[in-house]
Amino acid sequence: MSHPILTVEDVSKTYDGFKAISDLNFYLFEGELRTVIGPNGAGKSTFFDLITGRAKPDKGKIEFGFEPDSHDLTDLNEYEINRLGIGRKFQTPSVYVEHTVWDNLVLSLKGPRGVFASLFKRQSSTDRDRIADLLKLIRLDGKRDWKAGLLAHGEKQWLEIGMLLAQDSKVLLVDEPAAGMSDEETHRTGDLLISLAGKHSIIVIEHDMTFVKQIARDNPVTVLHQGHVLCEGKFEEVQSDPKVREVYLGRGKHGTR
Amino acid sequence: MVWKSFRPLLLCTLVVGVGLLADVRAMAAPETARATIVRAILTSDDAQKHTIINSLIGQGDEAIREIFTAWRQDNLYIYTAPNGAKIPVELTGDKDADGTQAAVRVDSGEPLKDASGQPLRLVAKQLTAVEHDASLRRVMKNVVDLLDLGSPLPAKRLRAVQTIGFAQKADKLPVLEARTGIETDTEIKKELREAIALIHLADPDDGVKIKALVVLQELHNSSSYDLINALRAKAEKDNKPAVTAAAHSALLAIDHHRSVVKFFGTLFRGLSAGSVLLVVALGLAITFGLMGVINMAHGEMITVGAYATYITQNVFGAGMNFTLPFIKIAIHLPGLHLTGWAYQLYFLVAIPIGFLSAALVGIALERSVIRFLYRRPLESLLATFGVSLILQQMFKLTFGSNNVNVDSPVYLSSNWTVFDVTFDWNRVFVIGFAVVIVFGVWLALTKTPLGLLIRCVMQNRMMASCMGVRTERVNMLTFGLGSGLAGLAGVFVTQLGTVGPSMGQEYIVDSFMTVVVGGVGSIFGTVVSALGIGLTDQSLQQILLNPVLGKILVLLAIILFLQWRPTGLFSARSRSLD
Amino acid sequence: MSLPATDRPYFRSRHLEFIVVGVLLLLLTVIFPLLNAHGLLSDFTITLWGKYLCYALLAISVDLLWGYTGLLSLGQALFFSLGGYMFGMYLMLQIGMLGSYAKSGQNPNGLPDFMVFLGHTFLPPFWRPFQSFGFSVLMVFVIPGLLALAFGFLAFRSRIKGVYFSILTQALTYGAALMFFRNDFTMGGNNGFTDFKLILGHSLVDNDTGPATMRGLFIASALVLLTVCLFCHWLNGTKFGLVRQAIRDGENRVLFSGYATANFKLFVFVVAAFIAAVGGALFVPQAGIINPDQMTPDKSIEAVVWVAVGGRGTLIGPIIGAISINALRSWATQAYPDSWLIILGLIFLLVVLFLPGGMVSLPGKIKALRKSQGKPVEPAVARA
Repeated sequence: MSHPILTVEDVSKTYDGFKAISDLNFYLFEGELRTVIGPNGAGKSTFFDLITGRAKPDKGKIEFGFEPDSHDLTDLNEYEINRLGIGRKFQTPSVYVEHTVWDNLVLSLKGPRGVFASLFKRQSSTDRDRIADLLKLIRLDGKRDWKAGLLAHGEKQWLEIGMLLAQDSKVLLVDEPAAGMSDEETHRTGDLLISLAGKHSIIVIEHDMTFVKQIARDNPVTVLHQGHVLCEGKFEEVQSDPKVREVYLGRGKHGTR
Repeated sequence: MVWKSFRPLLLCTLVVGVGLLADVRAMAAPETARATIVRAILTSDDAQKHTIINSLIGQGDEAIREIFTAWRQDNLYIYTAPNGAKIPVELTGDKDADGTQAAVRVDSGEPLKDASGQPLRLVAKQLTAVEHDASLRRVMKNVVDLLDLGSPLPAKRLRAVQTIGFAQKADKLPVLEARTGIETDTEIKKELREAIALIHLADPDDGVKIKALVVLQELHNSSSYDLINALRAKAEKDNKPAVTAAAHSALLAIDHHRSVVKFFGTLFRGLSAGSVLLVVALGLAITFGLMGVINMAHGEMITVGAYATYITQNVFGAGMNFTLPFIKIAIHLPGLHLTGWAYQLYFLVAIPIGFLSAALVGIALERSVIRFLYRRPLESLLATFGVSLILQQMFKLTFGSNNVNVDSPVYLSSNWTVFDVTFDWNRVFVIGFAVVIVFGVWLALTKTPLGLLIRCVMQNRMMASCMGVRTERVNMLTFGLGSGLAGLAGVFVTQLGTVGPSMGQEYIVDSFMTVVVGGVGSIFGTVVSALGIGLTDQSLQQILLNPVLGKILVLLAIILFLQWRPTGLFSARSRSLD
Repeated sequence: MSLPATDRPYFRSRHLEFIVVGVLLLLLTVIFPLLNAHGLLSDFTITLWGKYLCYALLAISVDLLWGYTGLLSLGQALFFSLGGYMFGMYLMLQIGMLGSYAKSGQNPNGLPDFMVFLGHTFLPPFWRPFQSFGFSVLMVFVIPGLLALAFGFLAFRSRIKGVYFSILTQALTYGAALMFFRNDFTMGGNNGFTDFKLILGHSLVDNDTGPATMRGLFIASALVLLTVCLFCHWLNGTKFGLVRQAIRDGENRVLFSGYATANFKLFVFVVAAFIAAVGGALFVPQAGIINPDQMTPDKSIEAVVWVAVGGRGTLIGPIIGAISINALRSWATQAYPDSWLIILGLIFLLVVLFLPGGMVSLPGKIKALRKSQGKPVEPAVARA
């Protein structure tokens, strides 16, 4: 835990005059499970967009990996960043609605991504086993031939988590995984994320404070506000921080649930 | 805009008026040209005859040409009146059975009359013919040649000066110099200087030549280029460095002037081409850019505007008949049989008619087809392409498959030359009209309640309808506006191109490209890109001297441009995933 | 992009669909020429159907892009014509001394007639290799392929998609047509190439041997179509097929799964150009003419409509669409010359508005109609 696997320094991003991210500094260490919270419009999703190459920062640097094998993500596009080992789950579940659940996982499975590989490489039995395991884990093995578009909201969330796992990325960016899930499912998601920490480095964006409390435990929580880090620390510390309370209370009773 | 188009006409009237006045003044002078000629005819001394005739040089009376022609053709005779007075007459018209012809007095141009005031008819053989020999004919020709120099019409004087200059005959110098003294028109004065300089170019003395070259350099008129160039070549051969150098710098000055004229000419044509594109594309910027509908029938909205102009013209004139296809309803539009200015006004009336008819067709299209296809842009492309085919065939069946003729009103068919750059009125009109339309659209979209509704519906149909906006109506009106603008464009492409059933197709690809380059959804972007594409197109045509190649290069340039800015010049960014 | 349930194609299994297509095509390949050889089917019909099959290839190339990948290309007529022109150059040079100028002794070098007309005295260098059949066939693939590669590379790299892609391909076609209309491009100007005589030594026009040549071309067209169908069927079964469909339904998401979507689209675009080009190359000797009118944007859009009418995103749809619309055209341009374009336009409109799944979705629709026992089916257009 000495060198960060993901370094975000002095990053700013403006959309039509609106500063979504301003002078953000953020470090993620290997194996860490980091939770990012913040009121609406704090720049959480933009933060993920910048890491995954969906948006380019106006200034600042975003680096991934360790010397000498580190990469400046601001020069790369979405699929290059993904291939380096950064996977993302979107806020609104984004699965391939016209594909079956099985095919969604086939598309996500770790492996060569080139045109010719996709034309001529056959599926191996280990691939199939891996997908079958994942289907069990996300409890969709009964619906493997369903079109993903027909799944319920929570099931889509699970499928997307499954797709994320199939990629076996080093860094997982998870945007509101619990939305649309029952309490029990939410809890299970939390357990899953905790079990993944260590092997993967994870950033979770979440609104649900019960869920945050579950996964944060001893892990650090970062509070984003108006595009920069308001404070960082253990969940209890953050919860009792007067600045944080002001930000949340000023916008209703979000944080005290 | 309209007052501007009257201006050259006013100017012209004024000039003619002044010219006539000058003519009247000349007649009030001590002796008319006719009287001078009578004097010459009646003089028996040849030398004196020549002197009298030469005194006519510099006068612009057309009678001189007529009388001299009659003289050379042996139609002048001397009639001796009963009182013994000798009256020169011209015998004209056919001979009757007795061999008599009508006689016209040379001194007045009136018919010759007897004492009782009856016109006299004379027999040629009984009269003394007015003689002429070779030297006299030469003198007369010289006078006629220089006649136009004294013409009351400036255009005629100008042409005469030019002709004399290019002939480079030193014997005409005194006349030109005399004219310089009395000429008032600055344009002609300049031309006189040039003509004199051109004649000096042929002078054997190098010093005179060089002085002339300096003058020509100062005037840098394109027309003297060839003569100077020939002189330079000769001087180079004869090894006269001073003349060569002077000629060279004169040529440089002309070249420079030419390129300046060419530059502004191209700029002007580019602006006008861009303006046409702009008006055509503006409608598309609304239906495609704001509404997201790919209307392949947009070109046919242009055609509707053009045919509306055609119909308006016919109604102002002799009226027209046509039969609607399939339902076979014959329509007779009675003509107003207007002539002159009233008829010329048809074009101004066609402007609102073109807008309204295209807007109505557009609204019908929106109600019947397009409203089902919002959010399915690719499908709207296919469906409207079907509409485009149907409309084209309908035009063909109604108005015939040949192009129809739309007249240019007088106020658009003239041009205006400033510093050698020609400004055609129709092009000037297009530019001005485009400015008015863009301003109007901008006002409509930003300053009116309808504009606010349009913008809000286009941004989020669902939200707007939840807020109680009648989105259906707004959609309909917006589409009508876009189509109406295409109709307006149609009204004026009648002045620049052909009008036929498939004319819309010529504009459709270009206008889509214009909107894409400008950035979909941005009216301002459309303006910039239309002018940019128009200018690039015209410049490439100038450079390559090949319109098709220019067009292909523009298309290539656009594809490459989109590499750099895939969403066009100005575009709204969205943060959603798709 | 996806169609509502009632507009889904009839064939639930793509294997079944392929078998149906394959069997039908095989039958066509065998039965039509047999009937023709025995005088039961006119030579005219064979040539006509041969052209339909070439149009079917064009339609498949459109479907591969639009139906399967979500790229509405309005440039497929360009690739079709380019293929036709490349093969047309071979056919032009085969005319040699049989041309009308040569017959009257005005063309000692056996140049194509239009060149003599334009005052050329020798063959432009780039024409020379087209004396060879093999080279010409190679160029049928190389030239359209290179153009597709270059254009596709630029377009996909800068992420031009949706209607922008359509508009840009339309402009490309338009520009190319302008170029081919020019005489100094030495590709026949607005008259194009025509008056072909020989192909591989077989006469196209001879009263005795011509019909056999045409039969051969028909069989070749049918076999190429069959091969293309086989290829498409195979492609649909690979992971490439999955990625391609994912690109159609949500390209941005595919990027985040680590796929360089531009490369996938480029591959499809080039393959589609190949298919269109080979269709054009087979079309030219059967139609006996190729000119720039064939490569206008209108022709491309028409091909899109064949696909829409047949049913996009299916194997059989484009074939059915191309054949039925063109058969309808052959009939209607005779029977109702004034109304044909209006009929065509109405078909476009009605299919887009009321039958987005095309003809292949008709059986499903009727079934749904029966099930609802006369209750009106929710019209497809009501779907936002």
